[in-house]
Amino acid sequence: MSERRIINGPHLRTERTTRWVMLQVTISLIPALLGAIYFFGIRAFYVTGFSVAVCVLTEYLWQKLTKKQVTAGDFSAVVTGILLAFNMPVTAPLWVVSAAGVFSILFVKQMFGGIGSNFVNPALMGRLLVMVAWPGAVMQYVAPRTLAADAVSSATVLGTVKNGGEAAYDYLQMFIGEMPGALGETSTLLLLVGFAYMCYMGVVNWEASVTYIVTVLALTFVFGPEGLFTGDILVNLFGGGLVLGGCYMLTDYVFVSRKGKLLYAVTAGIITAAIRIYSNYPEGICFGILTANCMAGLVSMLYKKHVYGMKKQA
Amino acid sequence: MRLKKKNVFPGGVHPTDGQDKALTMNKPVRVYLPDQGKISDEPAFGSAVYEKQLVSVDEFSREDIIRGMEEGGLVGMGGAGFPTHIKYKTDLPIEAVLVNGAECEPFLTCDYRLMLECPAGILNGVRLMKKAARAEKAYICIEDNKPEAVKSLNAVLESCREEGIEVKVLPTKYPQGGERQLIQAVLGREVPAGSFPAAVGAMVSNIGTAKATADMVLGKKPLNSRVVTVTGCVKEPGNFLVPVGTTAKELIELCGGVTEKHHRIIGGGPMTGPCITYDWDGREELFCIGKNTSGILVLPDYQTEESPCMRCGGCEQVCPAGLIPYQIDFAYQEEDFDLCESLHASECIACGCCSYTCPAKRELSLRTRLARDTVKQRMRERAEKKA
Repeated sequence: MSERRIINGPHLRTERTTRWVMLQVTISLIPALLGAIYFFGIRAFYVTGFSVAVCVLTEYLWQKLTKKQVTAGDFSAVVTGILLAFNMPVTAPLWVVSAAGVFSILFVKQMFGGIGSNFVNPALMGRLLVMVAWPGAVMQYVAPRTLAADAVSSATVLGTVKNGGEAAYDYLQMFIGEMPGALGETSTLLLLVGFAYMCYMGVVNWEASVTYIVTVLALTFVFGPEGLFTGDILVNLFGGGLVLGGCYMLTDYVFVSRKGKLLYAVTAGIITAAIRIYSNYPEGICFGILTANCMAGLVSMLYKKHVYGMKKQA
Repeated sequence: MRLKKKNVFPGGVHPTDGQDKALTMNKPVRVYLPDQGKISDEPAFGSAVYEKQLVSVDEFSREDIIRGMEEGGLVGMGGAGFPTHIKYKTDLPIEAVLVNGAECEPFLTCDYRLMLECPAGILNGVRLMKKAARAEKAYICIEDNKPEAVKSLNAVLESCREEGIEVKVLPTKYPQGGERQLIQAVLGREVPAGSFPAAVGAMVSNIGTAKATADMVLGKKPLNSRVVTVTGCVKEPGNFLVPVGTTAKELIELCGGVTEKHHRIIGGGPMTGPCITYDWDGREELFCIGKNTSGILVLPDYQTEESPCMRCGGCEQVCPAGLIPYQIDFAYQEEDFDLCESLHASECIACGCCSYTCPAKRELSLRTRLARDTVKQRMRERAEKKA
């Protein structure tokens, strides 16, 4: 008889796999992608597709070359690729996109051990890289083609308001996404549709997202530009990338337990709000979440789980 | 340690939609006669008086009952097989006997059938156990997916007005029937690490053990047979009263054989039972029924490949012991047993919820259990050195 396998219990396993979970996240990003194509033209699709291709290929080649288990097909690189593209303006040159993709997957994800072992969100690190290295290429946003026939450069709503200007778009336009911005962040409506889908499938920790967004909104409202309690909640919510960051970036799995994650979301929220209020950057989401990522270990030390039969520590 | 009484324990999973139990739920227990290799025409229960109605147990002292348990060779029939008389010999004050009819493992229905077909026998046993434990109360704990069993036991209870025995209906959730989880759900207490349930005034025994106590004390019949569920991919699943020592091969053949080419055969429930063999060719002798074997289960075989942990935290959400299985898993693989110990690996109850829920298909339960054994061994060695 050939060699017998060793079979370990339990003999029932959930049908969910890593691939399934990541596929759900991918599906939930599709409405926002379609919105981006509608608002910014077909190039939005090319940028996203290119970014996904770069990410998956990088992961595959790295795993092949280092003779590791190939997990490039588990859709996690697809999610990173889409999120990365969502953080770029539609005009971003493809070489910038590919640099960000390779950096995210190779240096942020794989070199720390691949899926689950990355200590920060790869897509956000990719965005940070291009923000610092090629600000001219990615900080130029264009108005949606539904409003202007030619691609006109303009600042995001958040950026305009930050510099003392008036928002040129009404709240409804901001909510559905008809405003300048990175290609996937503008449509709060479609992002929320996707987020609702993830919540329905149970693949996301919505408490953390809500905590994060509420923290940012509360702080930016209280410490508004013209004194206490003068912040514009809706501009802060719709005008930038808060929903994309809160719903998709923050919830990326990191080393924190469910309850600890709330503390972690508050931390991210405070940092994001502080940057929005006091620094030159209008957004702050990237730094807020990345800093919270780095503090995840600290948070998990603060929050100790109760183990059955162990006395609660006084 | 007292906690707020909530009638639930944290964590847990719902491994199936409950349809699996329907395979054998309505199959009455039939008696298997091994010498003739066939099923007897006689009904399984009801031949003795104590199986039909409540009888007087006043003539038996606590010592009589415990001696009966010892002489009858009684062990816990739910899974662990702990000697019953040792459990009941305790000097600690026992407040309540919890009779475990939760049967939270999918597929198994042997306890359910017993509750349905022999409620009087079980209740006689419960009364004896209550006396043996000197307890004020006895709770018969049943999951809410077995309303018929609740009805059946309540019907007998109402007819006699027995004091201090109560049927508790608990939510259906695996591992509701775990000893420690049951105590947490019913009494709202946690058994301190390293202690037996008696430390918090509780005694947990299986439904089958209650019946066996009645059999031995009232019927002078030692524990040498038990009800077994044979189910899964077999032609005719069913419940059988079989002598201890009946082989799995006999039982599977009795059920018409295996219907799935690629299958695995499990001795017990699907969550905690060991795999006896897979792709069985029908020739070799399989393992035999023990006093704590509640089922023979044939499931379709499948293969899983472990992929890297993505830190979703699912395992720690479902762990009823409050552990963080993925961290213990990493610590165990790096042979860092100090870390395993500080992560309380010793408190693993081996329920399998973590492996069940893991989307990366990691063998968390296996390695956490191994870590537990190693940590416990180290604790024992340290204690010996000190002594």
